[in-house]
Amino acid sequence: MSTDPARLRSAIREALLESRNRDGTWPYVSGKQARLEPTCWALLALGRAGGRGPDLEVLERWQRRDHWLIDVDGAPPNQAFNGFAALTYLAHPDGRKQISLLAERIIATKAVRFPPSNLIRLDSSLQGWSWVDGTASWVEPTAWCLLFLKQYVKAGSVPAAAERISVGDRLLLDRACTDGGWNYGNSQVFGKDLWPYVPTTALALMAMQDRRSEPIVQRSLEQLQEDVASERSMSALALTIICSRVFGIPQVQVQRDLAALVERNQSRWSDNLLGLAMALYALEPGRGPDAFAL
Amino acid sequence: MPTDHPSLLSRLTRRGFVASLAAPVLIAGCRQNRPYDARRFTVPARSAVGLFAVSSYATDFADVIARGLSELGVNLAGRRVFLKPNMVEYERDTIINTHPSVVAGAAIACRRAGAAEVVVGEGPGHRRDIEYLLAATGLDDHLREERVRFVDLNHDDVRMTPLASSFTKQPALALPVELLKSDFVISMPKLKTHHWAGLTCSMKNLFGTVPGAVYGWPKNVLHLYGIPNSIVDLTATVRPQLAIVDAVTAMEGDGPIMGRPRALGFIAMGTDPVAVDATCARVIGLDPGRMEYLRQAARFLGNIDAGRIDQRGEPLSRYATRFEVVAALEYLRQQT
Repeated sequence: MSTDPARLRSAIREALLESRNRDGTWPYVSGKQARLEPTCWALLALGRAGGRGPDLEVLERWQRRDHWLIDVDGAPPNQAFNGFAALTYLAHPDGRKQISLLAERIIATKAVRFPPSNLIRLDSSLQGWSWVDGTASWVEPTAWCLLFLKQYVKAGSVPAAAERISVGDRLLLDRACTDGGWNYGNSQVFGKDLWPYVPTTALALMAMQDRRSEPIVQRSLEQLQEDVASERSMSALALTIICSRVFGIPQVQVQRDLAALVERNQSRWSDNLLGLAMALYALEPGRGPDAFAL
Repeated sequence: MPTDHPSLLSRLTRRGFVASLAAPVLIAGCRQNRPYDARRFTVPARSAVGLFAVSSYATDFADVIARGLSELGVNLAGRRVFLKPNMVEYERDTIINTHPSVVAGAAIACRRAGAAEVVVGEGPGHRRDIEYLLAATGLDDHLREERVRFVDLNHDDVRMTPLASSFTKQPALALPVELLKSDFVISMPKLKTHHWAGLTCSMKNLFGTVPGAVYGWPKNVLHLYGIPNSIVDLTATVRPQLAIVDAVTAMEGDGPIMGRPRALGFIAMGTDPVAVDATCARVIGLDPGRMEYLRQAARFLGNIDAGRIDQRGEPLSRYATRFEVVAALEYLRQQT
């Protein structure tokens, strides 16, 4: 890496602030519509850089329907990004009291239960979280909502959450690939093993960080270290670093790779604000508690 | 830039307006159980589909596709062209995606044909990580070299868009603004068997226009609405004006991801995507009339009857073969 790490982080912060919309939100691509996911990542990353919690005013102004934060007018609420937004709230010392109603929605929400199928190997009785209402359980939304609930109950007992956390844990264990790691939804279709992805594996591992003695969690950690070597995207490398950090695993080489990639992509930062914000969060040493740690 | 080519967005808006005027008729149509307004669609009397021989991916695809545009009489002058390849997943030594040389060749051919703008866009249904996919597949290098803009349809701005037919029974879907702004959509699939739909070609390829950042990865709502229903509603709504199919090396067996490569050696092109898909189905030994989505599409969108499809380029018989399919799809085979 040619650039000094502190200087690179400073340049990313500057780029993120420059690409912020007037109302304090962020789009996926500079100059476009405000979206929930890049906004939450940017708020977390800039908050971490400043040694403070995220600026929650932006999320407080966000359009809501039935307590869900609505990403796109007229579209169904995205449950994965609501789980992540709720987690973003918890990164602020005053965030918990502002999301009790959203937390209730997340606890009450269940993906659709389908009849068992011999084409897809999974325990269909487990109802985690889906991307949008009325669809199946998927790894990414389940991981976000599960990680949020695990953090949420740390600060005070929420009896209704316990059952959902248990189901979320069991679902992620059930859906893990044979050799570790996670695909998007299940581990096998038509009798063939599906391969794991780095981003989904990192997310699921973060949600399972309190179950690290599970053999599949250990195998998945190993799988992640192996697979990340061939990764070439900011988001995958960033999630690997963030995940490894909560497990206490140093990732010096991946940090170097991420910094080099971010630097190489500098002319296109404005096209990938999500990846840029994730990279900043991953590269920031941070002075406060980690938003993703339990 | 000429302004006489309405964008998809304005066409849809106009359709919506016309549809609202025709509400009583639509209700009558619904009573007849017809999930489309027949007055808004015309099945061409005949459809031309070209099969153009290509020996390998080292070919000059711009020349092949330019020939196809000429033979099919496609006029791109002044158009804002949107190329929609199929880019789902990357795994070394597999052939899951439309080859980047074919995409780059199409972009060059469209520019040579006078297109005002050419944009490539895709919203992968499996790999969320577009940065990884673009680099790993090599498409990024090709597009940079040709200075063609790429749009990640999963993360683009979206607009709730009324569906032009109602097989899914959904009134609207969020669709990417960059797609809606274009006025000439070209579907550029890789020819593959598909373990749920039978075939993934120019119509199923449109699943990639549905934004993951709204509906998730994979786009599970489309499965729950019924894959054939979703294919037909998306085709009726997006209305690709041209299909360019990468069948240089296709996929058989457990497609669209886990199947095996199968060399076929052609590029298929046609302005009727239904006819293109039907022709590709016949090439690989499947009966288009047994495929739910093609059967429904043939009612109002295009032709599947071989007697109404004019073959250009090479004869179908030159490539006709029998692809392996998963056991559950054996019923799709053509009877010989």
